[in-house]
Amino acid sequence: MAKQGSGSILQFAPLQSSVDEGFWHRLSSLKLNKFGIDDSPIPISGFYAPCSHPQVSNHLTLLAESLPSDSNDESTMPPVIRGNRNRCYVPGILYNTNTMEGFHALYKQALLKAEAMKIWEDIHSGKAVEDCAVLSRVLLISFADLKKWNFHYWFAFPALALDPPATLVDLRPASQWFTLEEAESVSAACNEWRNSSVTADVPFFLVSIGSDSHAAVKHLKDLEACQRDGQKLLFAFYDPCHLPNNPGWPLRNFLALISARWNLKTVRFLCYRENRGFADLNLSLVGEALITVQQGWREQQCVPNAVGWELNKGRKVPRCINLAKSMDPTRLAISAADLNLKLMRWRALPSLNLEILFSLKCLLLGAGTLGCQVARMLMAWGVRKITLLDNGRVAMSNPLRQSLYTLDDCLNGGDFKATAAVRSLQRIFPAVEAEGIVMAIPMPGHPVSSQEEKSVLEDCKRLNDLIDSHDVIFLLTDTRESRWLPTLLCANSNKITITAALGFDSFLVMRHGPGPFNSILNLKAETENSLAAGMDNLALTNTDGQHRLGCYFCNDVVAPTDSTSNRTLDQQCTVTRPGLAPIASALAVELLVGILHHPNGIFAEAEIANSSSGGNFELPLGILPHQIRGSLPHFQQMTLLGHSSNSCTACCSTVSSVLLLVLDNCDFIIQVSRILLLKTNICTS
Amino acid sequence: MDVLHWDGTLSAKDFRIGAFAFAQKWESCNLAFPPWSWLPCPKHPWLAPPEEEGYLSLEKICISRPNEEEDIDQISQIDTGEEETCCSRNEDILDDATLVQSNHHELHYCDFHIVYSSTFRVPVLYFRAYCSDGRPLPLDEIEKELPACASKELSKKWTFITQEEHPYLKRPWYKLHPCGTAEWMKLLFLSDTANPKFEVVLELYLLSWFSVVGQVFGLRISFKISN
Repeated sequence: MAKQGSGSILQFAPLQSSVDEGFWHRLSSLKLNKFGIDDSPIPISGFYAPCSHPQVSNHLTLLAESLPSDSNDESTMPPVIRGNRNRCYVPGILYNTNTMEGFHALYKQALLKAEAMKIWEDIHSGKAVEDCAVLSRVLLISFADLKKWNFHYWFAFPALALDPPATLVDLRPASQWFTLEEAESVSAACNEWRNSSVTADVPFFLVSIGSDSHAAVKHLKDLEACQRDGQKLLFAFYDPCHLPNNPGWPLRNFLALISARWNLKTVRFLCYRENRGFADLNLSLVGEALITVQQGWREQQCVPNAVGWELNKGRKVPRCINLAKSMDPTRLAISAADLNLKLMRWRALPSLNLEILFSLKCLLLGAGTLGCQVARMLMAWGVRKITLLDNGRVAMSNPLRQSLYTLDDCLNGGDFKATAAVRSLQRIFPAVEAEGIVMAIPMPGHPVSSQEEKSVLEDCKRLNDLIDSHDVIFLLTDTRESRWLPTLLCANSNKITITAALGFDSFLVMRHGPGPFNSILNLKAETENSLAAGMDNLALTNTDGQHRLGCYFCNDVVAPTDSTSNRTLDQQCTVTRPGLAPIASALAVELLVGILHHPNGIFAEAEIANSSSGGNFELPLGILPHQIRGSLPHFQQMTLLGHSSNSCTACCSTVSSVLLLVLDNCDFIIQVSRILLLKTNICTS
Repeated sequence: MDVLHWDGTLSAKDFRIGAFAFAQKWESCNLAFPPWSWLPCPKHPWLAPPEEEGYLSLEKICISRPNEEEDIDQISQIDTGEEETCCSRNEDILDDATLVQSNHHELHYCDFHIVYSSTFRVPVLYFRAYCSDGRPLPLDEIEKELPACASKELSKKWTFITQEEHPYLKRPWYKLHPCGTAEWMKLLFLSDTANPKFEVVLELYLLSWFSVVGQVFGLRISFKISN
C-alpha cells in the first residue's frame, strides 16, 4: 500500500536500540574505577544515521565513545564528535543503578517526563532550531551485575505525544511526489548537505523548491525566509526507518516543534533515506500530516505527555545481555589456556588428546620441591584436577626451591603446605580444581603406639580411598619408606604411578609397571567367594610377573645397572642441586603425557633411547621409557628398563594378595605388622 | 631479493602501504560491499602517515542468510512476572501513534579488522559478530552463517580461529591465527606461473592474502596476480 487514506492516525515506527559491546566494557570500567557506588545520572551520546538499506532500519547506537572516558582525567562528559555523517549525535542520559531492586524501583515515567521536558524547553527557547540535534534524546536505565556480567537495560526515546494525534493525509515514495527535475535537484542538494562536514550530521533541515525546479537545502532557522519566498517547502529529517508506509520516530518531536513554534497545521515532510551513501528518493518518503491545534501548546508550562519506552520483542520488559565470555577474567584465562594447547595440537601434534588431560585426576603425594613443580607442569598441560597431600608446614627456606610458596606462607609458623599450594594454584589459574590434604603417609619401620593405632588405620584407609578416586598418582615424597604403602596400594589398584626421586646431583624418574593383577579387583570385597576368586586369579597371573615393568621397590631386589646412582639414592638426601627438582618434575609430567597417549597406557612396553632411532618415532610424542636416570655432573640422561621382581616388597603378587586379605579384615593394624614381617622374610629369602 | 628466498612475511611499512592499495582496489572491484577504512592507532598520535600505526576496518557486514528463524533470547525472559508488574505502574508505554511491529527478524552482522602482527610479520584478520541490538554472537553461531564449503576446506588446514585480545581495542575478538600465514603466502606466490618481481609481490600481498582468508566468510575479491 503506497498511500495512506486521509484521516488515519499517523503512526511512527519506533527507534530500535543497538549497544556495542564496547559500551558495556567502558561502563564496567567506569563503575569499577571511577564511579564506585555513586549512581548519579551519567551523560551519554547516542548515534544514528539515515536508513541506508531498503530492508533494514538503522538503529540508534551506543558505543564505547558514548560514555565519558575511563582514563584518569577529570572529564565527566562523553567526547562530542560532530561532523561524522554516519554518527548523528543524540544527547542522552544514563541511570545506572547499584542493585537489581534499584533498577526495578526506578520511576520510569518520571524519568521519561524529565527528558521530554528538556526537549520541550529547547523547543520553546529556540535552542531546537539552532541546534536541532537536541530534538532527539535517548534515555537509558541499566543495572550492571559485575559478578555475573549480566547487563539489564531499557531504552526510551522520548517523544512528545500530540493530543489529539496527527493524522496522515498522504504518504508516498519521494520519487513519485517530485517531478523528474525536482527529484534530481533534491538528490543533488541533499548529497551536498550530507557530504559537507558542517551539515553532514544535522538531522533536521528544510528543502525548498523554486518554480524552476531548483531545490535548496536550508537550516531550520531559515524557515521564515523560506516562507516569505513562497516556494514549495518540505520539512526534512534523517529517517532511520526503512518501512514504506511509516515515517521514523524522529518525526514526532519534529512535528511537535513545528506545531509549537510555528503553529503550522499542515506539514509536508520528507523522510530522507539513503542507499550506498547517496540520497535514494525511491526509499525516501514524502507525506503530508494534519496537526490539530493543541490545547495550550504555545505555553511552555503545559508539558505534553511523553511516550517512548522500547519494547523487547513486543513485550514491555527490559533487555538483558550476558558478557561473561568476553569480560570475566576467569573465563578469559580458561580460553587462553585452552588456546595454547589447541594451537599445539593444530600446528605440531594433531593426535594430542586434550580431553583426557582436561578430565584427568592427579594425586600428588608430597608438596615440596617436586610436588610444586609437578603441579605447575600438570596445569601447563591442561590438567585441572590436582590433589596435593602433605602433612608439613611451609618453612622459611622453602619458597626458594618450592615454586608455589612465597614468604607470606611462612609467617606465623607457616601454613600447611597442602593448603598453601592449593591457594597458589588457584591464584595462577582460577579454574583449577585443586584440593589439599594434610595427612601423613603411614610408613613401615616406624613403630605405632597404641594411642595412634586408630588414626594410622584411618590414614591408611584414607590413602587407599584417595588412590582409588584418582587416575594418576605421583610419588614425590622425600623418604624411601613413605613411598612403600602408596606403591603397594597403587599396584593393587593398577593406577598409573610415577615416581621422582632426587639424589644430591642425580635423579630418577620412572613409571611403575602395572600391578600383578591384570584387572582391577574390588578391594572391598566382603564375600569369601570373591576373595577366593582373587586368589585364583593371582595364581594365573603369577607367571606373568616377569613381563611386568618394575616399580620403585623392585630395584631393591633387581640389581641396578648403575651402581653409583643407586648409592646416591640410598643416602636419603634432603640437599640437592636446585636444578634437579625442576628437571625431574618436568620429565615426570612429560612421561605421564606419553603414557596417556600410548595405546596400551599403563601396560605399555618400555623403550630405550638410542642414537639410531633418529627423528622417526612410532608415536608422535616419542619413545616411552620405563626409567630415566639423570646426572648433572655429566649433563647426561639415560633411559633404563627394569622388570618387576617376584619378590618385590611392594608390588609382587604375594604381597598384593596379602593386602587383599588384610584390607578385607577389620583388624587392620595387626595385619600391617604382618606385612612388615613378610617383607623381612621376603628380603631374607 | 627474489621470491625464492623470501620468507613470506611483510614489514610494517609495507603493510601500511599495501593497506591503502588494498582498500583502493577493493573499492573499485567490489560494489557489493562498503569500502574499508583505515583507522589510525591512538597509541602514537604524533606520527603522521605513512609512519602511523593503524588497521583496516570493514564494519557491519550482514552475514545472515535471509528468512532465518531467530532464537528467542533466553536471558531476557527471566523474571518476566516481576517485570510485568513493575511496568503496569507506568502508563503510556505505547500510544496510538506508535506502530507496533510483529516481525522481529534478527540479523547478524560482522566487523572485520585487518591488523598487522609484528611478531609474525604478517597481516591478521580479526572479526566479531553481533545481532542488530548489539548482542555479541559466540563462535559456534558465527560458524553457522559461514559458507559451508569454506569452513570445511579452509578451517582445517590453513586457518585456525582463536579468541584473543584485540591489540588496539583491548577486548576479545576472534581471529584467524597467523602462524601459518607466511608459509602459505610464500607458496601462493611461488606457485604463480607469472613469476612476479619482488616489488610486485609486496604490492599485491594484501590482495592475495585476503583472497584466501576472505573465503572463510564468503568475501570474494576477484583479481589476478598477473594483472
